[in-house]
Amino acid sequence: MREITYLEAVREAMTQEMERDPRVFMIGEDIGEYGGAFQVSYGMLEKFGPERILDTPITELTLTGAATGAALIGMRPIAEIMFMDFTTLASEQLVNQAAKLRFMFGGQSTVPLVLRTPAGSGTGAAEHHSQSFENWFVHVPGLKVVMPTTPYDVKGLLVSSIRDDNPVVFIEHKLLYKTKGDVPEELYEIPLGKADVKREGKDLTIVATAIMVQRSLQAAEELAKEGLDIEVVDPRTLRPLDTETIVNSVKKTGKVLIVHEAVKTGGFGGELAGVIAESEAFGYLEAPIIRLAGREVPIPYNRNLEQKSVPQVEDIIEKARELATLKV
Amino acid sequence: MALTKEKAENYLLQMYQIRAFEEQAEKSYMAGKIHGTMHLSIGQEASAVGSISTLEPTDYIIGHHRGHGLTIAKGADLNLMMAEFYGKENGYCRGRGGSMHIADVAGGNLGANGVVGGGIPLAVGVGIALKMQAENRVLLAFFGDGAASTGAFHESMILAVLFQVPVVFICENNQYAMSFAANDWTTSKKIAAHGEIYGMAESCSTDGNDLLEVQSAVEAAVKRAREGGGPSLIVNDTYRWRGHSKSDRNRYRTNEEIEEWKKKDPIVKFRKHVVSKKILTEKEVEKIKEQGYADIEAARIFAEASPEPAIETLEEGVYAP
Amino acid sequence: MAIEMIMPKVDMDQETGTVVEWLKSDGQSVEEGEVILVIETDKIAIDVESPGSGILNGISAIPGDVVPIGTVIAFILAEGEELPDQPAKAVEPAQADPPPQVSDPVPATQDVSATPVARKMAQSQGVDLSTIKGSGSGGKITKADVEAALGSAMPLSPGDILASPAARRIARVKDINLGLVKGTGPGGRIQGFDVEAYIPSKSQVGLPALSSPPIGDSIPLIGMRKKIAERLTESYQSIPHIQFTSRVDMSNFIKARNDYNELALKRGDEKISVTAMLVKMVGMILADHRMLNSSIIDDKIMVHPDINIGVAVALEEGLIVPVVKNADQKGISQIAVESSDLVNRARQEKLTNADVKGGTFTITNLGPFGVEQFNAIINPPEAGILAIGATTSEVVATPDGAIAVRPIMRFTLSADHRIVDGAVAARFIADLKTTLENPVLMNY
Repeated sequence: MREITYLEAVREAMTQEMERDPRVFMIGEDIGEYGGAFQVSYGMLEKFGPERILDTPITELTLTGAATGAALIGMRPIAEIMFMDFTTLASEQLVNQAAKLRFMFGGQSTVPLVLRTPAGSGTGAAEHHSQSFENWFVHVPGLKVVMPTTPYDVKGLLVSSIRDDNPVVFIEHKLLYKTKGDVPEELYEIPLGKADVKREGKDLTIVATAIMVQRSLQAAEELAKEGLDIEVVDPRTLRPLDTETIVNSVKKTGKVLIVHEAVKTGGFGGELAGVIAESEAFGYLEAPIIRLAGREVPIPYNRNLEQKSVPQVEDIIEKARELATLKV
Repeated sequence: MALTKEKAENYLLQMYQIRAFEEQAEKSYMAGKIHGTMHLSIGQEASAVGSISTLEPTDYIIGHHRGHGLTIAKGADLNLMMAEFYGKENGYCRGRGGSMHIADVAGGNLGANGVVGGGIPLAVGVGIALKMQAENRVLLAFFGDGAASTGAFHESMILAVLFQVPVVFICENNQYAMSFAANDWTTSKKIAAHGEIYGMAESCSTDGNDLLEVQSAVEAAVKRAREGGGPSLIVNDTYRWRGHSKSDRNRYRTNEEIEEWKKKDPIVKFRKHVVSKKILTEKEVEKIKEQGYADIEAARIFAEASPEPAIETLEEGVYAP
Repeated sequence: MAIEMIMPKVDMDQETGTVVEWLKSDGQSVEEGEVILVIETDKIAIDVESPGSGILNGISAIPGDVVPIGTVIAFILAEGEELPDQPAKAVEPAQADPPPQVSDPVPATQDVSATPVARKMAQSQGVDLSTIKGSGSGGKITKADVEAALGSAMPLSPGDILASPAARRIARVKDINLGLVKGTGPGGRIQGFDVEAYIPSKSQVGLPALSSPPIGDSIPLIGMRKKIAERLTESYQSIPHIQFTSRVDMSNFIKARNDYNELALKRGDEKISVTAMLVKMVGMILADHRMLNSSIIDDKIMVHPDINIGVAVALEEGLIVPVVKNADQKGISQIAVESSDLVNRARQEKLTNADVKGGTFTITNLGPFGVEQFNAIINPPEAGILAIGATTSEVVATPDGAIAVRPIMRFTLSADHRIVDGAVAARFIADLKTTLENPVLMNY
């Protein structure tokens, strides 16, 4: 199998699906000749032409609405919002329209829309280009929310998202774009709503999202040297959530550390903690459910401050060790 | 297009059905039978029927929250529409949408919308899809003077022109957003001028209470769209007799103004026209009026007898399987 | 002007009261004299009335809280009035009659500015307020300041069991009492594997309890249970007990009782119980053995003028001892009426403060439970307690060397050796034995 980057895997998923299904098209800012802000759609204008790669001026609200309207009468658009920070502008169409049209019309219609957006910090882009708002959209019935972490996962999940008849918010962490991994050349699907145990272990469960999966795996390797055996669970889809895999893991280890980049207060970790506490896993907990997440600040510019604003590998090691050895 | 007797009968019947529906809606509401609120379009019948009469059955409309007239003009089943208004299970939207969100997707009605300006970006997308699907269909996208001030409207004009979508954007200027007078910031002519500013081939404003004038302007725009000439913006200058919603106390306008506009009743205007042109007799017109009201009465009986949605079905229809 | 509601003092020797239940809550209007709070002292539950009319607010003591008397626990405000800023002043307990026990002076922390909640918390956790820096306005010590001083983990109230959910589940499944498991987790938390590793010790005897305590759950040591625990610990540790057991032939006692009850039945009077007869006898005998009817107070032995016999009654949550006053001066029938009434009301939890005050000697009877003999712990500040065992048929040797079967009962006197020497106790025992075996002496 060949190794490609996460970014190339995203491009491949879209390209192959667009070749297979003429209803799929892209709409977004600077996705045409520019190739996309992160070069995800590089080369796609040449391949599919301006009829299917719709480059727009700065119009987040209406490009999202347009994608929704097109989906409403049978197309399968992929809308791109250049930075997740700007989904604030798209929210009216995403939350009030795309998420609700099917239900509001009593099931008369479907909205098979994918809204892709790069998220996350670490590039020095600071307050307006570094945020992670996945929990806002997890909160909306009618939306699905996917947050893949590996090149293999991102291709399979994007294919499934395009083929899903519901609006999917597809979140790509910027720092993952350059990561590499084995990816099959052919088209394949990874089902939405299925978590992945990225590392098996018995002393502690870490449930992590996006780049925190990578950092947790690194932390687990380090802690293995101390004789601690850490299990890392990657939900991959946040809504609908694969509670069964997570619950089984917590039942096995009795301790769970939740790690995500987004700000802790009101973050997805709270939802996860609630799900775990309400489940059968509660009776197996040996310690409190701990969340390690972003600090209560907008992302600052200074590099050190930026690093310290979100969990790093050392932070995960420290918290995981503390929890695995029952210091809390 | 020529006004045949058959067409005149259809248009008149539809306008009377709209008028009767709105009046019945009001009665049912005041009798405590309707949950929530509603937005009546009494006085705007010509804008709806005049515009939509230009469409083929396979064309689409998308609307706003004052959309009962649009829905009837697009040929809705009055029973199913009334049942939805009453929130019943066999309404168009299974009682989930209500007055503000009635849709008949199979019938080409892509729905009313609860957000002012919510449907305009959707209209751009529908236009993009219609172009891609290349089946020669067009979309009429209705919105009000209230939406003409939103970012959504302006962004949509830009993208509509950029992608040359087969959409006729129709602004029903009924002189007030909710209570904010359109004339305090614009006029029908000025709104229409945006079409040109944003690069549309044609745009214009009409006397929205003159069915034939509206029809003529929209017809031309529809033809242009279908032939690949891109989007148009038409502003129908009209008036709503009732307040914005049921809770409106009409503090922002005078009774004199309302009475002035009532004299321009679009149904009366069209009636006078078809009778004077001897297309229909007074007696025939009266019979059509009775028919319209009878249709609505039947719909009311149907709706009131229809079942409530079962609580167990609450979470159905959120996701497509 | 806000009216302060304080933890009231109702007993002479009372230092604290336990909040049981607020009948009104913050923001509700109350009338002067309306019962709005139930508290518990070491003896019984007490209704507390509102000191004024207005809006109840600023409640700072919740059910389970043990509050020093005189502490402000709530305010009654006028319409629109704000809660006052001043720190609560702990009131000095009023000294009316010489109390049988010395009460400790209120800790001198009332000079430190602190919120009522902070003050209460510091007191119950044993923290000296003068060592804490206050973060409130004007340096007032707040609850958060006290918590910080105690460290990030709040110490538990005695009786709480700290255990993980896993530990609780395993304990439930395996029917193990969590209170017996030692926890190895942080702060002594019981983990699941601690419960797995626990082996119950064989020395636990399963006594028939009045009701089985819930397995694996904790029972807070508050109110009556706590008070009993404290008093008996104090008694056991500070009073040198000597115990004397004697065997009694109850034949005549039983006959006398039957004779009484035939007459009582005929007259429609209260039945004469064993308890009543014992109370009468002991009351009479104590009159001749006053040292056993005394208390040590302030390094003096106070010999009580009245003979008030307490009768121990077992309740669901513990023990209560209502008192028959002046037992030496009442006829047997009256004593029967009174003791029966007291026992019934005790079981219905309807005893008043007066019912349980002023005892000078206690009788406790486990005969009905089949207990052969037992040594009771003195009820301070009394000098002695009489433990009555079961009456069972035994084989005895008669004075002329024959073998007979008689109803035999063993009683044990526990006495305070500081007051009562062996000989003194022995003479009491002898008189008691004689009277039990010859009930006619009661009528002397």
